[in-house]
Amino acid sequence: MPLRPLRLASKRKAVVSLAAVAAVLLAGGLWAGLRGGGTPSGQSYVDGNPDAVIYAAGHRAALPEFSGTTLAGARLTSATYRGQVLVLNFWGSWCSPCRSEGPTLAALSTRYQHAGVSFLGVDTQDTPTNAEAFEQGFGIKYPSLNDPGNSVAQVIGGAVPVSATPTTLVIDRTDHVAGAIFGTATYSVLNDMLSKVAA
Amino acid sequence: MTNVHEEATAQAEGTVQEQAAVQQEAAVQEEAATTTFAEDGPASPAAAGSARPAPARADWGWPRWAWRQLTSMRTALVLLFLLALGAIPGSLLPQEGQDPAGVQNYFASHPGLAPWLNHLGLFNTFAAPWFAAIYLLLFASLIGCVVPRTFRLAGAARTPPPRAPRNLGRLPHSASYSVALPPGEAVAIAAGMFGGKRFRLRRPAAGDTAHWLSAEKGYLREAGNLLFHLALLGVLASIAAGGLFGYKANKLLVEGSSFSDTVSALDVFHPGRLVTGSDLAPFSMTLQSFSASYYTTGESSGQPSSFDAKGVYSASPGGATKPFDLRINDPLNVDSTKVYLIGHGYAPQFTVTDASGTVVYDEATPFVPANTSNFLSDGVVKVPDAAPTQLGFIGVFTPTAFAANGVLQSAFPAADDPAVSLLAYEGNLGLNSGVPQSVYQLDTSAMSLVTQQPFLLRPGQSYTLPDGRGKITFAGYRQWVSLAVTYDPGQIPALVCGILALAGLLLSFLVRRRRVFVRATPAGAGSVVTVGGLARTDASGGFEDEFAELVAQLRAAHPAPEHADEAVLADAARPEPGMSPDTTLDKTETGA
Repeated sequence: MPLRPLRLASKRKAVVSLAAVAAVLLAGGLWAGLRGGGTPSGQSYVDGNPDAVIYAAGHRAALPEFSGTTLAGARLTSATYRGQVLVLNFWGSWCSPCRSEGPTLAALSTRYQHAGVSFLGVDTQDTPTNAEAFEQGFGIKYPSLNDPGNSVAQVIGGAVPVSATPTTLVIDRTDHVAGAIFGTATYSVLNDMLSKVAA
Repeated sequence: MTNVHEEATAQAEGTVQEQAAVQQEAAVQEEAATTTFAEDGPASPAAAGSARPAPARADWGWPRWAWRQLTSMRTALVLLFLLALGAIPGSLLPQEGQDPAGVQNYFASHPGLAPWLNHLGLFNTFAAPWFAAIYLLLFASLIGCVVPRTFRLAGAARTPPPRAPRNLGRLPHSASYSVALPPGEAVAIAAGMFGGKRFRLRRPAAGDTAHWLSAEKGYLREAGNLLFHLALLGVLASIAAGGLFGYKANKLLVEGSSFSDTVSALDVFHPGRLVTGSDLAPFSMTLQSFSASYYTTGESSGQPSSFDAKGVYSASPGGATKPFDLRINDPLNVDSTKVYLIGHGYAPQFTVTDASGTVVYDEATPFVPANTSNFLSDGVVKVPDAAPTQLGFIGVFTPTAFAANGVLQSAFPAADDPAVSLLAYEGNLGLNSGVPQSVYQLDTSAMSLVTQQPFLLRPGQSYTLPDGRGKITFAGYRQWVSLAVTYDPGQIPALVCGILALAGLLLSFLVRRRRVFVRATPAGAGSVVTVGGLARTDASGGFEDEFAELVAQLRAAHPAPEHADEAVLADAARPEPGMSPDTTLDKTETGA
């Protein structure tokens, strides 16, 4: 700040400088605002829009060990599926996208039954009664872990973000996560993924 | 006294006080008709640059001018104001982070305006680019202000005080008296006294025959000023850290159920810009019981007196479990992540049997309190797997039921006499479409009423739907709690920086930079001691008293001459005669 008393010229200069700062701010804000078109907040929730990723060999995270109790009450650990292609589907009977992908999972689990592909559901924030009614309704034959508190998602989330329900992971024969679908799994996307990983 | 008037104008214009004081000094310098202040800080090249922009502008042109404008205090204040102004839309308009439904409603009710507001980022104000621009410019302005000042302070700390002006009588404060000591000894005693008071001293160079002393004190003032600016930067940095690395989430948890701190388990999740799902503290917790107590008598009857949520938690998957006891404002702290109890409600437990006799629904279903004074709560039950058609129920839960003119009401928030009233629908819930829907609302657009009148159930009672569609049982109720999970790494640093900023501000207000000069000239067998004082920054006042005190102490340390008339003679030599020796110890410039 200049020491001398403000003269007219320096006042004008100050006004010009403030106007310049304001103009830069406004222009920058407008440019970024129009360019960004209102980017959504940092939330990575993909509602119904499949966001399918296939990880290249060498970029696949190892599947963490997990265990739990199935809806039928049997003890089950991830070791059961060692060396197999595994489709791990996080779902809940309350979840609309899960209900829309139910027929896809029922059909693909039957189709790949004899191709060395296992399916395992993880039923989250649900009750066994509701979940069994769901499986009955959609004709789902493969088992599901009863995980009302999302503890399996937490364990696996250390390797792959299980950011939404549903999330579908495809595990390769070396127990690494080969593909992920965040949101609804459609028949074509999951079929495509499985044909590559199980080939 | 033009200079003094100029200084007053500069001060009135809100110019930095410090520099006004520098000018005050310059004025004194002119009057003192000496150039001994020449080596003082403000005359150094760096300070000259900031004090006199005109020549530098010619050398560096616009970039330097723009930088100087940006780092000026005025711009910093304007930016601070803009920051506050920019935060206003964040509180007036619904924000995507906190209230996505509100944003949708706003779009629906203002279809023309909303897209434009959205382009300007006003629905996500604190993440908007223009908000970041203000924030970053303020940051740059503060850094540009603090860094040169740090260097200047470091320089000033190494620079000795200026030489004593020749005519100390012209300083704002001065005093003069005679002593029975030779000038050299008189100044040496003064040096000992000021040194003991932790003044920084300067004595004549070797070979200088004059006897004088310069003493300066109060560097803490500028240090406090710097501390304030640095702490302000720290506050901004802490808030930025919180925004980048912190997160906020909400979770509704029913008694008897568990939850793991992972993205898919959280009902609402607002991560910071640099937070990914794997950054969440991997704890899990189980709510075993919740109890709320209410006042039952007096005016505050029905008001809550305490809440208590008990359960166990584990800091990592498979880790040891520890008990927790959550109360209002008494959060659970797991690895710096805090879990607050922010709300509660009732979750009536329903079982639904469909037409085939299969139990297709069994769940404690959270209802949302519509009225927190009596906890009358609304909710819906969706039975998507009922055969042959999906069933849905819209319900009201009353913890203490009574009928008011035929309408179900609740008399008290505690569950003394719980009841539910339900309306049954059948048809398509819209749940199989894949489009997410609220668990608290029933989309009846593709459904039809099964019962024309609502039916009332008490715990354990069932209602059989007409024409063999099945039945619904109200088994009882559980309570739920609403939890806020927050992680803000900037919270404690922001608090510490806030306290430091306040401390710095106090220092810079309470400490003043002041100089005291002593000259001794031989007079007869003894000498005449002249003391001059100058406060560079005396916003809070009080230097006058300090100066008088210092002079009194110095005088007491000097043995007085045998003849009192010598002292009178010395005082008479001062520029303002007519005052008695006792009151002329201190002279204050009143012309300003």
